[in-house]
Amino acid sequence: MNKLYLGGAIFTILMLAFTYISVGGSEGGLNGDIVNMLAVAGAVALVIITVFVVIKYVRQMQTDTADGELADESWDNIGEYKNPVPMGWAIMFLGTMVWGMWYFLVGYPVNAYSQIGEYNEDTAAHNEKFSTQYESITGDRLVEMGESVFLAECKVCHGLSADGIDGKAANLKVRLEAKTVKHVVENGSNNHLLGSEMPMPDRNGLFNNNTGALITDAEIDAVSQFVANGMSGAGAEVFAGACASCHGEDGKGMEYVAPNVAAFTPALVVNVLNHGKKGAIGAMPAFDRLNAKQKEAVGAYITSLSK
Amino acid sequence: MFHWLEKHPFFFAVGVFVAIAFAGLIEIVPNFAQASRPVIGTAPYSTLELAGRHVYIKNSCNACHSQLIRPFKSETDRYGHYSLSGEYAYDRPFLWGSKRTGPDLMRVGNYRTTDWHENHMKNPPSVVPGSIMPAYTWMFKNTADINTAYAEQLTVAQFFAVPYNKEVPMKDGSTKIVKMGESVADANALALEEAKVIAADMKDQDVKDAVANGQIPEIVALIAYMNSLK
Repeated sequence: MNKLYLGGAIFTILMLAFTYISVGGSEGGLNGDIVNMLAVAGAVALVIITVFVVIKYVRQMQTDTADGELADESWDNIGEYKNPVPMGWAIMFLGTMVWGMWYFLVGYPVNAYSQIGEYNEDTAAHNEKFSTQYESITGDRLVEMGESVFLAECKVCHGLSADGIDGKAANLKVRLEAKTVKHVVENGSNNHLLGSEMPMPDRNGLFNNNTGALITDAEIDAVSQFVANGMSGAGAEVFAGACASCHGEDGKGMEYVAPNVAAFTPALVVNVLNHGKKGAIGAMPAFDRLNAKQKEAVGAYITSLSK
Repeated sequence: MFHWLEKHPFFFAVGVFVAIAFAGLIEIVPNFAQASRPVIGTAPYSTLELAGRHVYIKNSCNACHSQLIRPFKSETDRYGHYSLSGEYAYDRPFLWGSKRTGPDLMRVGNYRTTDWHENHMKNPPSVVPGSIMPAYTWMFKNTADINTAYAEQLTVAQFFAVPYNKEVPMKDGSTKIVKMGESVADANALALEEAKVIAADMKDQDVKDAVANGQIPEIVALIAYMNSLK
């Protein structure tokens, strides 16, 4: 037996010496670096434990004899003793079964990762942050938000400066252009504006109260210029005769009847974002993916452009 | 039984394979079948839309544009609801793409219009300042291949039971019927009907004249396809 312990001790010393030679002299070796010292201490402990565990089992193999009751089953003449289940093993086994049931019924279904789950959490977190941070903003900050939304969503058609890129889309720096007014007067309009279910009639339904006759081409041109000029210049009497009964004397519209044609209002813009629009230039789709606050912000921004 | 299996390793291996394959089968196949079923609101492509899809593939639009919105907040903010596998049920082949030099087009029909596409395909920088997309002016002159689109419709209707001329459920609870012609002439007539609706919203006089004369330029088919992507 002493030979065995002696061999173990010599092996341990050799291993430690080898470790010291390979690490000790090198740059950044054992020079007081706490991490290196810990690693070396770990290595020493591993070597010592390994050597003495091996010695224990070698001794056991040398001295142990087999006894106990054999099981009936024999596997290619290899038998098995009927020993009681080791306690530590049994506890681990039962624990694993309990954990397995928990994982199968609760752990996996409740805690499993899913891409959509993460997306939903992200979205909920964003929406909450958005509402706490922005729900009550007004004034300049609302306009700023509107500008950033505009640059992300609207500039593709309306242009960076909102001028409509040479007529590709509506010029939002002015409330209405002459051709837009003309188109609406000639063709009527029903953009579900501001809750109004009654569409504006086309030219066959527009009477000039001053003359008592249907609106004429010359009058349409005049009133188009008048509205496009910001409700000034020639054509005022046509507006008063044919348009003012719904759009108001000053063109500022009437609630539930007709929209403001003198200036943008946030509600007007929000309405277009909700329903889309089809007019003299072409069609604009609805922008449902903006949330209510973002739509309001775009309304504020566009209103601020023509002030 | 188990003794026998233990003595015959080959049959034991076969048994293990069968057990695992069966587990895989009942785990994977039902989910897969469920997920690849068309979602409500997904309708087959009409003849003109399919011809437009061929134009899309022919010009390799999918090399720069993906059609797959991933479930990230930043993507759904920009492109709309993330893609579901059932939405590709009638795409043969799907056009997911792997590169986004341009934006994703999975739901472009929701936020772009016919006249926007017309301006854009003619001269992209005119509506998207700084765009590096080339102009596709030949699409305004080339004629769309309706016959091939009709052939594809016939094929998928026959071999994959794509529901042409049948009611397809839509999101709002209504149903929609996508018509497929009974003959080549019939299919061309149907496509022309659709093309007239698109051309009415366009400004290019040559395109309008061509459609009025019964011809369908590629751009009309492509716009019909773009508008169908929702």
